[in-house]
Amino acid sequence: MMPIAAMLLFPIICYKIGWDAIDSSIFIVAIPLVVWPAIAIIGQVWKKTDWWKDHLKEGGIIALAALAVSLCLTVWLIISFLKDHGSFGAQDSDLASFAWLNFDILAHDGVSWEILGTEKLGFTIGFGIYVDALTLMLLFVAAFLCFLIGWFAIGYMTTDAVNEDRNHRFFAEFLLFSCGMFGMVLADNFLWLFIFWEIMGLCSYLLIGFYWEKPSAAAAAKKAFMTTRVGDVFLMIGLFILYDLYHSLSFEVIFDPAITGTVDPERLRLALIMMFIGAIGKSAQFPLHVWLPDAMEGPTPVSALIHAATMVNAGLYLVARMFPFFGAAGFEGEFTDVALLIAWIGGITAIMAAAIAFVANDIKRVLAYSTMSQLAYIFAGLGAACWFANTGHPEYAALAFGAALFHLFNHAMAKGMLFMASGSVIHEMHHAHHHTDGGEDDGAGGSEGDDHFDAQDMRNMGGLAAKMPVTSVAMMLGSMSIIGIPLIGGFWSKEGIIGQAWHAAISQDGGAMLVPAVLLLATAGMTGFYMSRMWFMTFAGKPKSEVAKHVGEDTHWIKTPLVTLSIVTAFTGAIFAVLNFPEWLGEGEELMHGIESHGLAEQVVAVLEHTFLPHESTLMVVGWTAIVISAVLGPFLAARIHGGKLARGEQANAFVGWLVQISGSVGRTNVDEVAKSGFALALHNRLYIDDVYEWVIARTVLPLGRLLAWFDASGVDGVIKGIESGSQASSSWLRLMTTGSARDYILMATVGALCIFALMWGVA
Amino acid sequence: MIGNPLTILTLFPLCASLLLMLVHWAAAEDRQADLSKWIRYINLGVALFMLALATLIGLESFSADLTGIGGWVGLGWHNYLYDNCDQGILRAGGCAVISSIGVSWHVGIDALSYPMVWLTTLLIPISMLVDWDQKRGAYFHSLILMMEGALIGVFVSLDLFMFYVFWELTLIPMFFLILLWGGEDRRYAAQKFFIYTFAASVFMLAGILMMYFHNPVPDWGVGNLTGNSFDLVLMNEQVADSSFISGGMQSLVFLLLLIGFATKMPSVPVHTWLPDAHVEAPTAGSMLLAGVMLKMGAYGFIRLSVTLFPESIIKYQWLLVLLGMVSLVYASWVCLGQTNLKRLVAYSSVSHMGVIFLGVATLQPLGIAGAIFMMFAHGIISPLLFAVAGAFKKHYHTLEIGSMRGLAHHSPWMSAHMMVGWMASLGLPLMAGFVAEVAILIAFWMTFGWLVLLPALTLIITAAYYLWSMQRTIFEGSGEVELPPTMGDDEPRDITWHENVGMMTLGIMAVIFGILPGIFFVMMSGWSSDLISTTFVDLMNSLGVEP
Repeated sequence: MMPIAAMLLFPIICYKIGWDAIDSSIFIVAIPLVVWPAIAIIGQVWKKTDWWKDHLKEGGIIALAALAVSLCLTVWLIISFLKDHGSFGAQDSDLASFAWLNFDILAHDGVSWEILGTEKLGFTIGFGIYVDALTLMLLFVAAFLCFLIGWFAIGYMTTDAVNEDRNHRFFAEFLLFSCGMFGMVLADNFLWLFIFWEIMGLCSYLLIGFYWEKPSAAAAAKKAFMTTRVGDVFLMIGLFILYDLYHSLSFEVIFDPAITGTVDPERLRLALIMMFIGAIGKSAQFPLHVWLPDAMEGPTPVSALIHAATMVNAGLYLVARMFPFFGAAGFEGEFTDVALLIAWIGGITAIMAAAIAFVANDIKRVLAYSTMSQLAYIFAGLGAACWFANTGHPEYAALAFGAALFHLFNHAMAKGMLFMASGSVIHEMHHAHHHTDGGEDDGAGGSEGDDHFDAQDMRNMGGLAAKMPVTSVAMMLGSMSIIGIPLIGGFWSKEGIIGQAWHAAISQDGGAMLVPAVLLLATAGMTGFYMSRMWFMTFAGKPKSEVAKHVGEDTHWIKTPLVTLSIVTAFTGAIFAVLNFPEWLGEGEELMHGIESHGLAEQVVAVLEHTFLPHESTLMVVGWTAIVISAVLGPFLAARIHGGKLARGEQANAFVGWLVQISGSVGRTNVDEVAKSGFALALHNRLYIDDVYEWVIARTVLPLGRLLAWFDASGVDGVIKGIESGSQASSSWLRLMTTGSARDYILMATVGALCIFALMWGVA
Repeated sequence: MIGNPLTILTLFPLCASLLLMLVHWAAAEDRQADLSKWIRYINLGVALFMLALATLIGLESFSADLTGIGGWVGLGWHNYLYDNCDQGILRAGGCAVISSIGVSWHVGIDALSYPMVWLTTLLIPISMLVDWDQKRGAYFHSLILMMEGALIGVFVSLDLFMFYVFWELTLIPMFFLILLWGGEDRRYAAQKFFIYTFAASVFMLAGILMMYFHNPVPDWGVGNLTGNSFDLVLMNEQVADSSFISGGMQSLVFLLLLIGFATKMPSVPVHTWLPDAHVEAPTAGSMLLAGVMLKMGAYGFIRLSVTLFPESIIKYQWLLVLLGMVSLVYASWVCLGQTNLKRLVAYSSVSHMGVIFLGVATLQPLGIAGAIFMMFAHGIISPLLFAVAGAFKKHYHTLEIGSMRGLAHHSPWMSAHMMVGWMASLGLPLMAGFVAEVAILIAFWMTFGWLVLLPALTLIITAAYYLWSMQRTIFEGSGEVELPPTMGDDEPRDITWHENVGMMTLGIMAVIFGILPGIFFVMMSGWSSDLISTTFVDLMNSLGVEP
C-alpha cells in the first residue's frame, strides 16, 4: 500500500537525481520534521471525518509512510557504508549541512587580548551529518523500531475508544520524536546532538502526558521533563567547557587525533563528568532514575519506543561518543576515575532496579525496571571500556565497547518487543474486561478502571499462553534475550559485558572495578528471576481473574511487528556474533572478516569457543556462573513460586507449551513471609528515593519561591509604595502653607523680602 | 528628508494615527460605529504597509554590494543605512531641526537597530489583530499605531534629543491604553508605570545633557549658538579619538544612564512597575510593552553606554553581572510563587531581560551578539505568552492558575499555543530563545567560568514554573471540567481566528528564528565583533585587564 510504495520510490528518486546515500540522509531527519505538523493540523481540523479515521487511521498511515522512507534511506546508507567503508567517517555533504551560528571570539593569549576568527566571522556552529559504525547501528535500531512500533501503534491506539479523536496528536508527536532521534544520531557535533536530545525530551513530555486529563499522567510528564532537565543543564555546562577547550563542538575537529589530546585534562575531566550527568538523567540511572517508572503512564507504544528502545539510548550514545577521549594520546591515567564513576553508577542502578522489579505487580513497571537495569549493564560495559582505554589497553577497550553496544542493540530489539507484547496483553485484557462486565473504562492503560480493574496488574492475569499464542512466544523470546539464555539474543552481548567487567576487575589496578563486576553478576541472576516471574505470572498457571479467561488475540497490526521482532530476537544475536558485530563496532573491523578468513563453520566454532571456553580461567568461571544463575537458578525459583500448569482443557502452542509444562512440575514454594517483610515493602515504595526528592522540593524550593514572591510584592515594591505615600504625605504637609488668609501671605512676603535684603547686604 | 524610508517609518504612523483619531472624534454620533470599523482596517493596513517597508529595507541591505557575508553585515558597525537628507545636510549627515541648540533630524539603522525596527513593525499588526474586538476600537488601534511611530523613532534616532523625545513619547499611548482599556486596578497601574519610568528617564536626561555639553561641533553651520550638538555619530567619532568624556565624569554619566535603562529593561531592583502594568494592561498593550518597550532599555544601553563608554563597561563589569544575575535568579524564584498567570509571565520577562546584562558583561562578541539576539527572540516569544494569557483572561474571566483546569478540553488551539509559547520561553532548542541562551552562556563560561552554574541552574527553575502552570491549566481536569465561578453563565470556547492567526504567526517566527537564527545573528555578530575589535581590544590591552 501507500507506505511501501513511498518506501521504494523515494530513494530511487534521490539516486536518479544524483545524490548519494550520504546526501540523501538529510531526508531521514527532514521528512518526519515536515510531515508531523501536517498530521497535527490536518487531524485537528478533519478529525471527525471517515476518510481520516478509517483510511488514514487518524494519521497513522501517513506517519508510517514517513517512517518507511526513513527506514529505507537508512538501509541504503548502511549498504553504502559497508561497501565503501574506507571513504566514510566525517562527511562534508553540501546538501546535508548548514551554518547555524557564526561569530568571533575574544581571547587572551597570555600577553594581550586579540580577536580570533574573523575574515568576517570565523567560528561556526552548524549542522552536518556524521556517519560511522556507531551512528549506523543506532540509526538502524531507531528507524527499524520506530517503523515497527508505529505499525503496532496503529493497531493499539485506533482500536481503543478512549483514544478517539486524539490519535492525530499521538502520531504527530510520535513522528516528531522519530525526527529527534534520527537527528541526534546523525548530527556531527555535540550541540546539535543536544538540540535533538531536547526535542526528544519534549516529545517524551507530550506523550507521557497523552492522557492529560488524568492527574497522575500530567504529574508523570512533568516529573520526566524536570528530572531530565536537571541532567540537561549539566550536559549544557559540559558542552560549554568543551567548546572553550577546543573552540569547536564538531566531532571531526574534537576527535582529530592530533587535536584531542592537546587540552587541559583537568577541565576536560569536568566536562566529561558534566556530560555524564546529563546521560544519567536521560537514561534513567541512579540518582536521576525516578522518572522512568512513572513514565509508564503513557500509552504502551510510547513506553516501547521512547522509554525502552530509543530515547533512553540517548544517554548511552552520548557516553559512547565520549569514548575516544579516554583512549586519546596524552590522557593516560587521567580519566580512570570518570570511567569508574560510569561503571559504578551502572552497577548500582542494575542491582537496585532488579531488586525493585522483584515485587512489581504491574507488567509495564517490571519492564521499566528491567530497562533501567539493562541500560545500567551497558553503562557498566562502557565504563569498563573507558577504563581499559584510559589505562592503556586499547584491545580490551574495543572488546568491551563492542560488547556494550551490541547489548544496546539486543536490548532495544528485545525490549521494544516486550513492551509491544505487554501492550498486546493489556489491550486484550481491556477488551475482555469490557465484554465480561460491560464495564466502562475512564482511562486506557491506567491503573484506575471503572470498578478499579487494573488491566496491567499481573495478579489479574495467568494462563494466557493458551489464549495468546503469538504474544506468549514473543514475550518468551524477549525474556530469554534479556535474561541471557545461551544462544538467544542478549546472551552474546551480556557475556561480553560481564566478562570484560571482571577482566577489568582482575587486571592490575582494577580493584575498584570489582564492585560493579560483582553487582553485574548478581544482577544477572536476579534478572533471570524477575523476568521469568513476569512470564509465568502472565502466561502460565490458571487464570487468576474472570477477565483473564476471556482474553483473545486479534488485529494483525499488533501481531505482525511481534512476529517480526520475535524472529529478529531469536536469530540476530547469533548471526551478528558470528559476523563479528562487536568488533565491527569497537575496532572498525570488517563485518565479514571472520567468515572470509576462516570459513563459515570455523567461524561459528571460534565464536562459540570464545564465548563458552575463554582462555582466562577466571573469566570462564564467571561466564559459567552467570549462565547458571541467570538461565537456570533464576527461572527455576520463579517457576516454583509463580509457575503452574494451564487449566484443564487448555493448551499452549509448541513454542511455549514445554515451558508451561516444566513450570508446573517443579513444585511450589510459599514466599508469603518474605513478601510481607519490611524490605519488600521498601522495594514496593521504590526504596523511598522518590519520596525523599519530593519531600526536599516541597520543603525548600516551593516555600522559597513563595517567600520571594511575598518579598517582592511587599519589600521591594514596599519601598516604592513608601515613596508614593511619603511624597503624598509631604505634599499634604506643605499644602498647609496655603492658608488662604491674606495676613499670612503678607507676613510671608515681608519675611521673605527681609531675608533677601539681609542676603544682599551680607554679600556686599 | 521625506524620501528617506526611515523617516516615513517614524512619522507616517504618528501622523496617520492622530489623523484617524481626529476624524473619529469629529464625526457625527450615528456615523461613528461604522467609521470605527473602517478606521480599524486602515490602522491594520498602515501597520502591514510599515512591515512591508521594513522588510524591503532589510532586503535592500542584503542585495547592496556591501562587504561581508551575503551583505547582511552591510548593516554593520557604524555603517548606517540612509543617513542623509535632501537639503541642508549637516556634517554628520542629519538635517537641522533646532539649530540653535544643535538638534538635528538624523536617522539611520545599523545591525543593532534594524532587527528591533523589523520586530516593531511585525508586532504592531499582530497585536492589533489579537485584540481586534476591543471596544472603542478606533482610538485603541490608533493609539497602537502611534506607539509604532514612537518606538521606531527611538530605534532609528541618531540624535540624542530626538531619541529622548521619542523615548518619552512612547509612554503616552501606553499610559492611555492601560488607563482606558485595562483591568480593575488600571488607574494605579497606569500612574505607577508612567511616573516610575518617567522619573528614571529624567536621570537619563541628565546624563544625555552632560554628554551634550561634551560634544562640540565647531562647524555646525547656520544658527548654532551653544557650539554643541546632540549628534550620536559625532560622539562616536570622539570615542574613536579617545577624546570623549572620561574618568570620574564618565562613571557619573554611565550610572545616570544606567538608572534610566535599568528601569526600562527592567532590572531588579527597579522592576516593580512591570508586574502591575502588565497585569492591568489590555492584551495588545502587554504584548507591545513586553515585546518592544522593554527592549528600548536594552537597546539604549547598548547603543549609548556600551559604545560610548567602554571604560565604564570594563570598570563596572561586576555591576552588570550583579544586576543581570539578580534579575535572572531572583525573578525566576519569584515566578515560582505566583498564582496569577500574567504576573508569572511578567516576572519571567524580568528574568529573561537580566540575561542581556550578562551577555554584555562577557565582553565577548558571541555574548554581545547573544544579548542582542535575546532582545529579538524575547521580543517574539513574550508577546506570544501575553497573547495567550490575555486570551485566557478574555475567555475564562480569570487569571488565577489552577482555577480553570483541563483547558485542552474546551480550547485546544489555545492550549497548543500556550504549550508552544511556554516551551519557547523556557529555552527549548529549535526555538529562538535557545539560540540566545546558548550564545550567552557559552560566552559567560569563557569569561566567568564556574559562575555560569547559577544561570544554568536557573534554567531548571524556569522549566519548573512553566511546567507547573501548564499542568494546572492545560492538563488535569479529569472527568467533568469544573468552570471557574468567574465564568458566570458563559460557555467556554476556543480562541477566535484573529487571536489564532496572531499567535500562530508568532509561534512560526519563533521556530524559524530558532532553526535559522543566521538571518539576523550574522549581522548582530558582525556588529559585536567590530565593536569589540575597534573599541574594546585596545582599551583592555592598555588597561591591563586580565582574563
